Amino acid sequence: MNMRFVAGVALALIIPALAYAGAAQKPVLDAYAAQAKSEQASFAGFSAERGKAFFLAKHDASAETPSCTTCHTNDPTKSGQTRAGKDLAPMAVSKTPDRFTDAEKVEKWFTRNCQSVVGRPCTAQEKGDFITFMASL
Amino acid sequence: MSPIASSSPLPPVRVWDIGVRIFHWSLLVAVSVAAMTGFFGSPDSVAIHLIAGVAIAYLLVFRVIWGFSGSTFARFRTFIFAPSVLIARAKDMLAGRHTRYLGHNPLGGAMVLALMGVLALILMTGTVVLGGILKQGPLAFMTSYATGGLVKEVHQALAFGLVGLVSLHLAGVIYESVVGKEKLVKAMITGNKPAISDVVLPKPAAARPLVALVLLALFSLSGIGIVASLAARPGLGVPVAAVDPLYVKECGSCHFAYHPSMGPAKLWDGIISHLDQHFGEDATLPEATRAAIASYLAANSAEHFDTRISHVLANANPDDPLRFTATRFWTRMHREIPASVFTSKPVGFKGACNACHSDAKAGLFAPQNIDIPEGAFK
Repeated sequence: MNMRFVAGVALALIIPALAYAGAAQKPVLDAYAAQAKSEQASFAGFSAERGKAFFLAKHDASAETPSCTTCHTNDPTKSGQTRAGKDLAPMAVSKTPDRFTDAEKVEKWFTRNCQSVVGRPCTAQEKGDFITFMASL
Repeated sequence: MSPIASSSPLPPVRVWDIGVRIFHWSLLVAVSVAAMTGFFGSPDSVAIHLIAGVAIAYLLVFRVIWGFSGSTFARFRTFIFAPSVLIARAKDMLAGRHTRYLGHNPLGGAMVLALMGVLALILMTGTVVLGGILKQGPLAFMTSYATGGLVKEVHQALAFGLVGLVSLHLAGVIYESVVGKEKLVKAMITGNKPAISDVVLPKPAAARPLVALVLLALFSLSGIGIVASLAARPGLGVPVAAVDPLYVKECGSCHFAYHPSMGPAKLWDGIISHLDQHFGEDATLPEATRAAIASYLAANSAEHFDTRISHVLANANPDDPLRFTATRFWTRMHREIPASVFTSKPVGFKGACNACHSDAKAGLFAPQNIDIPEGAFK
């Protein structure tokens, strides 16, 4: 069996899998992209890097919840725990495939948690970066 | 008289048959367990207290049957005396005169009846308390929490009365041992006493264990049947409907979905009207959802139920009125639990009721359903 054939088969299997991992989140991301464009003319796509920085950042809006990581831990592929002791499924899409697929649910939690942690509503860019980061893991 | 004859004047005779002896010592154990758990127990020792109570009930029923079917000195007729005899006995004691009875002396016999009577009253009041407060047992279907609370005072007063009677009983045994030179404790173990009596002996009777056993079996079967069928009825004011799935979904995603019967309407209103400041976090809901949950909570608040949890948490802490774990009741009930248990991984925080109360979800909180997870003590 030659190597090019093996690589070809591997790619043929992996590429659709990769595409699939983000496909379920696409409608939610597309909506945030459209919103980001209207909020900010210079919008040029979401960035997993910016999303990661946002996720790890410490804010000073609340002593109880200074960061996303307070409940979700530093590693989004791991389970978290609410301050009230309830387990939270990993944020990483690879671990919890139905994350960021229900627009209403996504908006409910961004509304609550941005207010609790950042102290203001998040921008569409921040939300999209966040989801892009979680889908990249 | 020879020296041997003076140290044991007469051959011993069987006074206390095996039924009386087993009853006596079993009752001592069961009453001790009930008293220890009742006076000094933790919230979860109720289960043992109840087992002890059931054991005492069986022992009393047996003793009543045995009072008619046991051997001579087990029978009530041999130790129930006229009041005049009781008074005469008391006068004799005060005058330092000692009359020896082979079985119970008149005051001792009266003590047996008093102990059994008070125990029976303790069992009856205990059943009312169990029904009213814990909504368990044969009276749960008809007993209110308020009645249970009132009768609990009586139950406790009777328990103190029992402690007094037991003390008198022990004083009587000591008096008989010192003044009458009796070996009463040994007699209650071996069943034998020296065959000497200052009074005419009662007409002898043979024990009829088979009759006693049949009667006890009949009583047990009918008793269990009646108690079980009554206990199977739904308790007065106990929630039966499943908790609203929308409420569980929305409120249960961050914390244990507290049963609505745990909080009075005022508390729920305080919570559902200020979701943007929900114990330090924003828990805002879409208005339609919020309104639906608000009306569910108002229609199922503590005022609509009669369980213990619906009453005890209603007394809010003025400094922190919306937090169940700030109430005096919560603090008192959990005082023996190390703080580290609440922050442990399997529990998480103080308000995770269901981590240890397996029936908290249904708003029941039975003391028998408490189980602190293993990992919580690490």
